[in-house]
Amino acid sequence: MNFRDAELLSAYLDGRLSPSEASRLEARLSTDKNLKTTFEELRQTRALLRQLPQRRAPRNFRLTPKMAGIRPPEPRGYPVFRLATALVALLFVVSVGLNAVVPFAASRFAPAAQPALGMGGGGGGSGGAAESQPATEAPLQAPFAAQAAPTATPEDTLSAEVATAAPPQAEDTMRALATEQAAAKAPPAQPPVAQRGAAIQPVPVVLIVALGVLMLLCAAVAWMLRSNSDRRIRSRWNHK
Amino acid sequence: MRPMDETALISSAQQGDLDAFNTLVLAYQDMLFNTALRILGDEELAADATQDAFMSAFKGLNGYRGGSFKAWLLRTVTNTCYDELRRKKRRPTTPLEPDASDGEEMDSPRWLADPALTPEQSAEAVELEHAIQHCLDHLPLEFRTVVVMADLQGLDYTEVASAVRAPLGTIKSRLARARLRLRECLQGFAELLPARMRLQGEMAD
Repeated sequence: MNFRDAELLSAYLDGRLSPSEASRLEARLSTDKNLKTTFEELRQTRALLRQLPQRRAPRNFRLTPKMAGIRPPEPRGYPVFRLATALVALLFVVSVGLNAVVPFAASRFAPAAQPALGMGGGGGGSGGAAESQPATEAPLQAPFAAQAAPTATPEDTLSAEVATAAPPQAEDTMRALATEQAAAKAPPAQPPVAQRGAAIQPVPVVLIVALGVLMLLCAAVAWMLRSNSDRRIRSRWNHK
Repeated sequence: MRPMDETALISSAQQGDLDAFNTLVLAYQDMLFNTALRILGDEELAADATQDAFMSAFKGLNGYRGGSFKAWLLRTVTNTCYDELRRKKRRPTTPLEPDASDGEEMDSPRWLADPALTPEQSAEAVELEHAIQHCLDHLPLEFRTVVVMADLQGLDYTEVASAVRAPLGTIKSRLARARLRLRECLQGFAELLPARMRLQGEMAD
């Protein structure tokens, strides 16, 4: 018996021979004892394989949205609270940073130009988060202003104070320093600047605490929205 | 499942309907798991391969363009089985010993508890299953795949051909070789092939 015969027998078992091929093989099977034995053994083998029991799947292979790479829909309102949390957190960090940086800068330059500095820092800080940069630059300019006029008259000092209190107009300040005429315009701006200069921390602690609380609230609402929706999806999934 | 239902479910699933796809998963998970189990010879690996197969089937569902969905799924699961075998080859987790203990490693299958079988019959059936699995494990992979699909899953030649992407003639010849080798291998377990089995086998044909 050769492999061609085995192939024929195998196909015959599956009913895959043409009628003429089948009858030719059947004729050979009735005379060829060896072929008949092989045929019987192959038939047994095939029968054994076919009656091998099918196992039940050990678990459920249903895909979860995560497995399928599908993001569950975001609950309504969630993006709003997420954005709000981010914004409030940003404001919070900027405020805390401002309160930390300004007094530090003030104490560092205090011996050089104390009056100018307090006001400079205060003026810049009162501008809020958006002007945090000018607020830190202002004190840096102050010492130069003070050194530039070592024998300064009261008017000179005033002009320096005004200059640093309004940082965005830094170039104007230099010009104002050079030409003492600018001092004449200073007095109207002085009183509010002087008042603010007294507070070393530009952002009130109350506001920072409020921001912190608001941030936590927004985060909590966002988290609750998200986890509620996740739980709903999961329970819908498990009950299917 | 009726063919019409299946077609509708497939096209919904192709549009991303996961529920529709999961209905198909429930219909085919036993078949995929059993195929993987017989190719890999290990239940845990087979479960992993089945899960991977369904995941990649869902992702690649748009690649299915008609024909036997069963064959398409079987192609997916044999591919994940081949990946699994390649991984196993790179990092062998079992010690390289002669597989004398082969028979004792498998857990008792569920049907061991079948009340219709006497304890002796159950034991015989378990041993026979081990013997068959042992012989399958020693077949070259391409023969194993074909015989598992044709004889264990009952696919016809055309379906097997489309699942392994080989011509019908190749399927015929691989199946014949696989059966010949299995016949020789199982003769080594002659004591496990009681008359009862043979009789049942012949009656089943």
